[in-house]
Amino acid sequence: MGAAPAISTRGLTRRFGAFTAVDRVSFDVERGEIFGYLGANGAGKSTTIRMLCGLLEPTAGAASVAGRDVAARPEAVKAAIGYMSQRFSLYLDLPVEENLAFFGGAYGLSGRALRLRVGEVLERAGLRDLARATTGALPGGVRQRVALAGAVLHRPEVVFLDEPTAGVDPVSRRDFWGLIREMAAGGTTVFVTTHYLDEAEHCRRIGLMADGRLVALDTPAALKRAWVPDRVLVARGRSLPADRLRAGAGVRAVEPFGAALHLRVDPEAWDAERVRAELAAGGALDLAVEEVEPSLEDVFLAAVGAGAPP
Amino acid sequence: MTPARRLALRVGAMAWKETLHILRDPRTLLLALAMPVLLLPLFGYGVSFDVDHVPIAVADADRTADSRALARAFAASGEFEVAPGADAARAEDLLRTGLALAVLVIPRGHAEDLARGRAAPVQLLVDGADAVVANQVLAKAEAVVRAAGQARLISLAGGGAAPVEARVWTRFNPEGRSALFMVPGLAAYLLALAAVLLTALAIAGEWERGSMEQLFAAPLGRLEIILGKLLPFLVLGAVQFLLVIAVGTAVFEVPVRGGIALLFAFGLLFLVGMLGQGLLVSVLARNQLVATQAGALSSMLPSLLLSGMVVPIDNMPAPLRALSRVVPARYLVEALRGLLLRGAGIEVLWPDLLALAIFAAAVLTLAAARFRRRIA
Repeated sequence: MGAAPAISTRGLTRRFGAFTAVDRVSFDVERGEIFGYLGANGAGKSTTIRMLCGLLEPTAGAASVAGRDVAARPEAVKAAIGYMSQRFSLYLDLPVEENLAFFGGAYGLSGRALRLRVGEVLERAGLRDLARATTGALPGGVRQRVALAGAVLHRPEVVFLDEPTAGVDPVSRRDFWGLIREMAAGGTTVFVTTHYLDEAEHCRRIGLMADGRLVALDTPAALKRAWVPDRVLVARGRSLPADRLRAGAGVRAVEPFGAALHLRVDPEAWDAERVRAELAAGGALDLAVEEVEPSLEDVFLAAVGAGAPP
Repeated sequence: MTPARRLALRVGAMAWKETLHILRDPRTLLLALAMPVLLLPLFGYGVSFDVDHVPIAVADADRTADSRALARAFAASGEFEVAPGADAARAEDLLRTGLALAVLVIPRGHAEDLARGRAAPVQLLVDGADAVVANQVLAKAEAVVRAAGQARLISLAGGGAAPVEARVWTRFNPEGRSALFMVPGLAAYLLALAAVLLTALAIAGEWERGSMEQLFAAPLGRLEIILGKLLPFLVLGAVQFLLVIAVGTAVFEVPVRGGIALLFAFGLLFLVGMLGQGLLVSVLARNQLVATQAGALSSMLPSLLLSGMVVPIDNMPAPLRALSRVVPARYLVEALRGLLLRGAGIEVLWPDLLALAIFAAAVLTLAAARFRRRIA
């Protein structure tokens, strides 16, 4: 690292008439980083990506990708990035290898170099046997891997993935994130939007968007510390006296979660030991209490609910 | 890499992808290649403006040798099927029921008028519901009556020949066959329809699927996308053009009297204009349903109605005649008739070539300028 950031925005803004889709967004993404961009539908994620990809001109502010200014040199930006859009990435009537060959050609690859590279990305994505399959006949998860392969054919410095795993089954999503991590390990910067919060745990850092504004930006762990100051505990056992806990001072939430209880408590007053003692005194049997990390869902609800950083 | 090589590579990638789309979609190929083969014979044989064997009823109130001679003259001309013995009072019923297209009424005293050297008018009732047919029936009937009258004059004058007589020699389409007249029009019609429709569909499809955004995200220039997208359809259109000309010459014995190179220059230039029109339609419509309708309407109607294919341009009212000047099919039809039938060359046809070039340049410039104004 130490070099210029792979992506850098300063006060990046995009308005559509009176509507501000992206409002003064500033952040830096380092080279080789997996950067997650989270937010509800319409929060401004896709608009940000389109500006960073040189598809949409910013209304105000500045952004550079791979050291190139997106407003001044959009064509130079396009040559340096890979983009997997939300709606489409592939021609479903064409075979897998023809899709890849086309996108390779569009980025200026040809002849032997193109053939070799197509073989290489197919191999890496585990698609070698499907090269001649018609893309539309493949399941969604496989298609997304083909699309990712197509986005990195030309060895881009930065890859933008807009909701790449939407509507894909959990196993395929896990495989897909395996590919993303491999790419990042190889030095490619990955900018990814998702609304699966469990996936966001794979990101080194996360930006949270709400109503066009970047409301939080940090590593998953730091976000949790900042936004969910409660201690989160899970209690398992039989005959758990939930009401007895609810009555305790400093207990902020008690929610049944299957046979267990999810607790959010004041970390100054409560720890696992005190909860165990309290529940045992209430008559619980086979008791086990452990502290867990808050989930990003807790962070998301807290941050988007607040609408502004703490 | 030189810029020219880069351009060629990217256009090539686009064009190859488009070719694969076409090859994998049998409907497109069928639409483009089967249509000329099927429609040409249909129009060529089925749509005939030649009127013969016109059923004509004769109401002969005179019943003399002279009046029967006139009825025979109609039968002898080969153009009419004469049904004698009609009743003049029911003449209109005959037309209304469709039993006759025309009724010849010979009044009583016809022979007597002739004998005394007076004018001996006969009445001809014609069904005018179909104006094209009515005009032809009228012309033919008048010719028969005029000839009969002339023969009479000559015999009165004691033989000899008519003092003034036009000896007609129809050139280039002596039998007056509709097919010869129709093939150039059909070529324009089919080419326009397929080129505009297929191009509009293919490009609107990219908008509809969202793949256009993916193309824009690649370092593909606007021109590279357009060229790559249109080239395969230009080739397809050229094949179609060949097919139309081939079917025309093979089935309808349409002659090719002019230069082949000029023929292709016209075909290609017309195609480029039609592809541009398809591009423009798709840029404005952006979804396949609207593009289909707008594409079909904007290509079919003008090339059918304003090209001179069916309705002679000289017969149109002034506003339509003016409108036909911006219909490229008009210039192709004009040029093809000149080229195929008259053997005309560039020295005669250059205004048509120029008009097609202007249309192609204008519509492509407009479409390219409108292309890529917004995303999503």
